[in-house]
Amino acid sequence: MIERRADAAINASVKAGLIILALLYAAALLAEFIAPYNYREQTRAEPSAPAAMIRFTDVNGNFHLRPFIYRSRLTNPRDLEYTEDASREYPLAFFVRGVPYDLVWLVRSDIHLFGVWGNDGETAPQVHLLGTDQLGRDRFSRLVVAMRFSLLVSPVGTILACIIGIIFGALSGYSRKGIDTAMMGVADTVIALPTLILILAARAAFPLELPPWRAATLLISIFALTGWAEMARLTRGQVVSVRDLEFITAASALGARQTRILSAHVLPNIAGPLLVQATLILPAFFLAEVALSFLGVGLQDPEPSLGNMLTSASDLTQLAEHPVLLLSPAAVIFLFVFATRLLSRGRRASVV
Amino acid sequence: MLKLIARKLLQGLLMLFVVSALTFALLSAAGGDALTALRDNPQISEATIERLRTVYGLDKPVMSRYGAWIADALRGDLGESMAFRIPVSTLVWTRFLNTLLMGLIALIMSVAASLLLAVWSVRAKSKWLDRMIEFLIFLTASTPRMVLALLALVLSLRLATGPSNYAFQLIGGAIVLAVPLISLMLAQLKNGLDEVMSEDFIRTARAKGLSEWTIITKHALRPSLSPFLTIAGLSLGGLLGGSVIVESILGWQGIGALVVSAVRGRDIPVVMGVVLIASAAVWFGNALAEVLQFANDARIRTGER
Repeated sequence: MIERRADAAINASVKAGLIILALLYAAALLAEFIAPYNYREQTRAEPSAPAAMIRFTDVNGNFHLRPFIYRSRLTNPRDLEYTEDASREYPLAFFVRGVPYDLVWLVRSDIHLFGVWGNDGETAPQVHLLGTDQLGRDRFSRLVVAMRFSLLVSPVGTILACIIGIIFGALSGYSRKGIDTAMMGVADTVIALPTLILILAARAAFPLELPPWRAATLLISIFALTGWAEMARLTRGQVVSVRDLEFITAASALGARQTRILSAHVLPNIAGPLLVQATLILPAFFLAEVALSFLGVGLQDPEPSLGNMLTSASDLTQLAEHPVLLLSPAAVIFLFVFATRLLSRGRRASVV
Repeated sequence: MLKLIARKLLQGLLMLFVVSALTFALLSAAGGDALTALRDNPQISEATIERLRTVYGLDKPVMSRYGAWIADALRGDLGESMAFRIPVSTLVWTRFLNTLLMGLIALIMSVAASLLLAVWSVRAKSKWLDRMIEFLIFLTASTPRMVLALLALVLSLRLATGPSNYAFQLIGGAIVLAVPLISLMLAQLKNGLDEVMSEDFIRTARAKGLSEWTIITKHALRPSLSPFLTIAGLSLGGLLGGSVIVESILGWQGIGALVVSAVRGRDIPVVMGVVLIASAAVWFGNALAEVLQFANDARIRTGER
């Protein structure tokens, strides 16, 4: 009874983790649809604007069923103060037309999830859910697009590191004692290295400014080359513990080849712990990518990433004005790491 | 014991050699150096750059440059920083002491907090406390240092001290560094203690009439200390990685902030110096953890041969 309740809690935690991850990935995939504006478009008249006040009641106290915003104008350019112009309401709506984009690189569309309902000749103001950055770019749009880079780089890096680690570990577990010891010595050394500092050093070898695809390739290869060792150690330990069990002896007595034994008998039996390890590597790489972009050596402006959006949060005057707006990338980072921890917690408990 | 120390020493030297060689090769293979930026300046002629290349020895092949670097490094000379114009060893060492100070405070904080909480939970045997601790482990494991450091920055703006206050940077930074460590250490220690408490020798100790406090500190804690030390040793690399973020955000002048500016400015001698000292520090911490385990745990001592 108690066990069943514990199982249910574990299942719930895995499920919650998967749901959060699925939502984040869906948002990243449909970023252009969710983002109301182009993430690179600069509105020079509105730098560092505060978040839009979404209202239901107007200045006269009348209640509106449809939420609306007032146009806000930069009234004091020196201190970046904005004042709302209450002379006219601009209603908000779902599925409004805006800048055209290619959804999932396939479907051409100009419908956005939400926006200002502009139905007359006069240009409507923009609704900035999280305000704008110093160049007047819509921060919410940038945030949604920014997730894409981080959410792509870390899983690909994780998969590569896992492949390298599993092959290295399995080879080590099946080798003679001398070679096995030497290989594990290499893995132990790599585990003990100060990885982030080495990643930074490796990054110094390449030009600082890289186009997004090259930056992604570079980061993925660096992650794969520095992050495989723990996986290798775990795989080797698991392989050794399974190697001499009876069903493996039976398989080899039946004449199965080593590669078949490894892929059909050993690996499926040790998949559980390896999967837990993978869910531990994933957030580490995710955070490393964020850190590198934050430090200005990952993905660079004008392309948004969760890390380089936080760089502007180290601007103290900005941070003092609107902390929540600047820390919104931090919230996404927390959410992702939290979701992966939910996964590994559930998986670990179910393995042990 | 001496054999273990000798082996660790040899392993560490070998690792430092390989890591420095790899980093050096990678940094040279890419071609770019601190002088590349000078090329964009029309005021500086090609001849001047060539002369500077000879001064810094950048015109020689990689192998001989690495040979020269390691020969100098053995004598304690890591070259001169191209940006700061002072010896790399002086620069890196002063910055390293700052990082070490913050890191040590963080380590002490996390060890103290996890010991305290683990022992308390074992003594109190309350379901409510266990659940609180499990939640704490989970929360601290999910909160990245970067988020914490930014929150500390926001907090500092609300405080009277301001963000550039020395004590705030040191203590705030140490707390930020310590939080993820607490989750690791607390989980390890609590599981270890829970396991040990159901062993026979604990029942014997209870039967002898020892107080619960003596049982925990004298009998239960020692066997759970070995895996705890392993975790502490292995977490040092992450601690140094974390200090890169924390120092950059809070403006603490340690090697983490230094390596970032060196990478941006392509100050290769400084990058090499930081890699060297960071690897050496992490290796030293690991070796120390292993030696301590050896001293603490008779099971490891007799297994060693």
